[in-house]
Parts: sequence; C-alpha cells; structure tokens
Amino acid sequence: MSLRQIMLVLAAAVAAALLTMTLGRFGAFIVYTVAIAATGALALNLLIGWCGQISFAHGALLGVGAYTAGNLGNAGADMSVALIGAGAMTGLVSVLVGLPALRLRGLYFGIATLAAQVILEYLFKLLEPLTHGISGLLIEPAPLFGLAVRTDRAYAAVAIGVLALCAIAVSRLMQTDLGRRFLVIRDSEMVARGMGINVARTKLWAFLISGFMAGLAGGLLAFTTRIAAPEAFEISLSVDYVAMVIVGGLGSIAGSIVGACFVVLLPETVQRLGELVGISGQVSAIRDLVFGLLIILFLIFEPRGLASLASRSARRLVAFAARRRAPGDTRPASDKGKTPLKAA
Amino acid sequence: MTLLLQLIVAGIAVGSVYALIALGIVLIYKCSGVVNFAQGGFAMLGAFVAYAFATHGLAPVLALAGAMVVVGAVGALTQVLVLRPMLKAPVVAVMMATLGILITFRALCLLVWGPDQIAFPPLFPAGAVTIGGIFMTYNYVAAFLLSMALCAAFLAFYRYTRIGLMQRCAADNSHAALAIGIHVSNQVTIAWVASSALAALGGVLLASLNGLSVGIANIGLVAFPVIVLGGMTSLPGAVAAGLLLGVLQQLTDGLLTPALEGVLRTYTSIYSVGALQQVIPYALLVLVLFVRPQGIFGARASERV
Repeated sequence: MSLRQIMLVLAAAVAAALLTMTLGRFGAFIVYTVAIAATGALALNLLIGWCGQISFAHGALLGVGAYTAGNLGNAGADMSVALIGAGAMTGLVSVLVGLPALRLRGLYFGIATLAAQVILEYLFKLLEPLTHGISGLLIEPAPLFGLAVRTDRAYAAVAIGVLALCAIAVSRLMQTDLGRRFLVIRDSEMVARGMGINVARTKLWAFLISGFMAGLAGGLLAFTTRIAAPEAFEISLSVDYVAMVIVGGLGSIAGSIVGACFVVLLPETVQRLGELVGISGQVSAIRDLVFGLLIILFLIFEPRGLASLASRSARRLVAFAARRRAPGDTRPASDKGKTPLKAA
Repeated sequence: MTLLLQLIVAGIAVGSVYALIALGIVLIYKCSGVVNFAQGGFAMLGAFVAYAFATHGLAPVLALAGAMVVVGAVGALTQVLVLRPMLKAPVVAVMMATLGILITFRALCLLVWGPDQIAFPPLFPAGAVTIGGIFMTYNYVAAFLLSMALCAAFLAFYRYTRIGLMQRCAADNSHAALAIGIHVSNQVTIAWVASSALAALGGVLLASLNGLSVGIANIGLVAFPVIVLGGMTSLPGAVAAGLLLGVLQQLTDGLLTPALEGVLRTYTSIYSVGALQQVIPYALLVLVLFVRPQGIFGARASERV
C-alpha cells in the first residue's frame, strides 16, 4: 500500500466517522458493531486467508481481549493503554493457541483450536477473581487520551479508527518479507521449508499479530457493551467470525469488512423484519434459519467469497462499458474491455 | 470400588453414543475428505423426528427405525444438494457449509419444537438390573447394547460386503476407484446416508438417557476429540476412543471434580470447578496431539510432494 493509498484509507475512515456523527444512536451502534466485527474478521483473515491456518478459537481470543481491557480500564487505565494491553495479552494467548500448529496441520490443527476455544471458555468461568465468573465483569467507561468516550457516536469513531489502522497495518505487513513468508506457508509448507523459511517462527508471528488485532477488537467490544460475560464468547462467536472471513473472501481486507457487514447486519435485518411482521416470538430461530440457509446457498454459488464476486462483476462492468464504447469491435471477446479503455 | 465401577458403567453407556457419532464423522471424512461439523445436527434431528413419530402413536422401536430412515434420507439430500456442488470449493468453505447445515437444523428444530427440554417417551422398559452391586437401568444397558451392535454390524458391513468393499476403495484412493469403474460420488452419498442414520440412532439414545432438547446438537463437538484420539481414519479407533472418553468424563464428574473442589476450597477463593467433565476431553486431546499427532489408533500418513 503506497502512501497515497494510506491517505485514502484514512480519509475514508474520517469520512465514515463524520458520517456517523449524523446518525442516531441506533445507527452509531450498528456502525461500531460492524467496525469491531470487521477488525476481528481481519485478524482471523490474516491467519486463515493469508497464512493458511484455520482457527476456531477467535471468539475466545476476543474474550481474552475483552477481559484484559475491562480489568485494565476498571483499574483506571486510559483506553489506549487498556486496548494495547488487551492486544498484547491476547497476542500471547494466541501464540499459545498456535503452538500445536508447529506439529499439526490442516484439520488436526483446526480441532486443536476448537479445544483451545473450549478450554478458554471454561477458564473465563473458572477464574472468578479476574472474570467474575458467569455473572460477568462490569466495565466502567475509560477516557481515550484523557477525552471522555461515552456516547455511541464516540465509540463508533474510535472503532472506525482502530479498523482503519488495522487495515493499513495488514496491507503494509503483506508487503514485507514476513507477509510474503505467510503466503508461501499458506501455499506449501514444504516449499517454504525448502526456501529456508523458519516455518515454526513465522506461524507464531502470524498468531501473535492476529491475536493482537483480535485483542483490540475484544477490548473495544468490552468498552462498548460495558460487560464481559462468558456466554458472549462461546464457540458460536468463533463460528460467526469464520463465517465472516469465508463469506467475505479469504485473503482480502475489503472482504473482511464486507463479511462482517453481512454477518452482523443480516440477523439485525431479520430481527427488524420479524418485529414488523409480528412474529417476534420465533424471531431468533428464524434469524438463525435465514443465516444458516444463506451461508449454505452462498458457499454453493460463491465459495470464494463476496470479494471475488465484487471484483468479477467490476471486471464485467468494465468490459460491458468498453463494448458499448467501441461498437463494431471485431476482436475476440476475451480481449475486449482492456485496450479500448487504455486508448480512451 | 462400587462407585468406580458404577461410574465406568455409566461412562460406557454414554461413550457408546459418542462412538456412534464419531463413527459417522470418520466415515464421511475417509470417503470424501469432508469434516462434517453437522453430525451433531443429524443426531438432534433424529431425536426430534423419533419424538414426533412416538407422539403420533408409533411404537418406540418403529419410531426409532423411522427416524433413522428419515434422517438417512436427509443426509442423502444434504450431500446431493450441498456437498456435491461444492466439490471444487476450498476446504474451509466446505467446513463452513457443514457448519451452516448445523445452524439451519438447529434453527429448524427450535422453530418447530421450541427451546425447552422435552421428556422423551421411554424407548425401553423402565427398571434396572443389579449385577455385583452395580446398578444399571435398562436404558443404559440398551443404549450400550444397541450402539455396540450397530457399530459391529457396520464394521462387518464395511469389511465383508460388496458395497463395503467399494466404500473402502473410494476412501482409499478415489482416482483408482474411478478407474476401476466405481461411482465414487454415489459411494460418498451412501457414506452420508449411513453416517446420518448412525447419528440419528445416537441422538435418540442420548435423548432417552438425558432428555430431549436442541442441546443434543452439541454432541457433535464432543465427537471431535473422540475422532482425533481414535486417529481420524480408523473406524475401530473411533469406537474405542468414544468408550474411553465417555468413561473418562464420568470419572471426572464423579471422582475428580469433588476432589479438586475440596482442594481448591481450602486453599483459594474458587468455590466450584464448573463443568470440568466437558473440558477434560479437549485437555486430553491437546495432550495427545502433542505426544502423538496421528492419534492413538491412527496410521501416520506421509506427505507427498
């Protein structure tokens, strides 16, 4: 990502934050929920999409971030300190989760992360001095750089800021040596080893960075919801995040954000519609039903995610526009759409 | 000593249900390389369908058989409608699709039967036998005998029949199987039918042991430690590991938890260790994966370049 693109992302983030200021409370709530989910999805996408390591433990990792940030915030730390502390702690836990990846591959490793999810969930309930067990840890609002952050709009601005920083960080990372090593490991560990890449160390880096971002997302979740309780970080949350990454598109920053929108907004929409039609009693079951069916349909027809769908339709649109511009063009269809644009 | 044996007996009963579920997952994985996260969903569906049949006046045994047939058909439909079109999709996308199936089944059962625990109609006569001071309800005995009989029948089918042979061919090397004229795709469908019918039986047995609710779907998650311990590709391994984990869970619940809580209460402010028996399989799983990544019964596969 060049400097110009970074400025573009930052400008987009500022614009989004300003736009949020015009929204009501509910609008702001939706915005920060999506932004936080997108940060978490980006973290998971770094692992699955770029480094090829599946993780079913990211729901619990978000929980680690939430508890860490909550405890730091309650102890009087600034929100920035609490978030970075949450990132660091979650990064460490994430490395522990990733340790089996040094010996296991693919499916076995996926199941090992499932084990990590279950064990972490259990620890949330067990370590009462830190987590307040099943009743949950209440979290006081913390100031950010001395400024009070209490309203939904302020949280939305902070969440957008964190998401923009993470997006820039990931795209820069993928241009570094380390980022390229991730890609080689994803495509073939044997080739990576043959090239002299330290596979173990590189994988642990991926877990550390992914965990750090998941911790940021979890910390934000803690401050926005004001409570961290074990049932918020169950296996279903991990499944939601994997769904975001796969629906959005593996190895795509935009895909992570689109996937987060899909997974967050879909249940919200169904809920609203359900209340309108007056079936609020069954609404959670219907929401799950629509979610499950859409995921299945979507994966059947577009297994590479919304990001690939978007880029493909953009290409088609460009080709279509070019054809309109150059009537009577007799070159083969595959060549159309590229040169005329350059000429124009 | 009696307590120990009592716990082991209870563990074997629950463990034999784990074995049924795990067997189904291993079967599909061997045949098509797909990890079926929806297996718990099939079990839950089976239990609810059997419940529906039984409440409409069908005899319990017929309800059980009917549920196995219906869920087997659902399994076939799932494979044909969802998994076949995804033949060339990335592995994670297929995994996610099976998770989507699980979510859909759960939501369907929630819609129709609601979230509350339902008393399951008794499949087997109430009562118990006592052997050497160990108390066994007919439910436990029947669950164990039925699932072991089905596991044995199933392994025999796999070993000695013509279709079983074709199944093993398709699982072993799908290209070679295609080359000698086996319709691999159909074999995979057969595997799905068999595994979802097994899951349905498991679900019904579980409901008759612990009551009926959508929570039965969670058994699919417990099955994963089982199959990894059993070595993912080994059918007898899955059965053995299922029994082992069932016993381990009961022992944890009956012996380890009280002991641990006693120690913790004296030295720390922690009062309860919670549902330790649900975590133990995963803790064991992590341990085994570190020591012997291919599982206890699995064969080590070499990687080809």
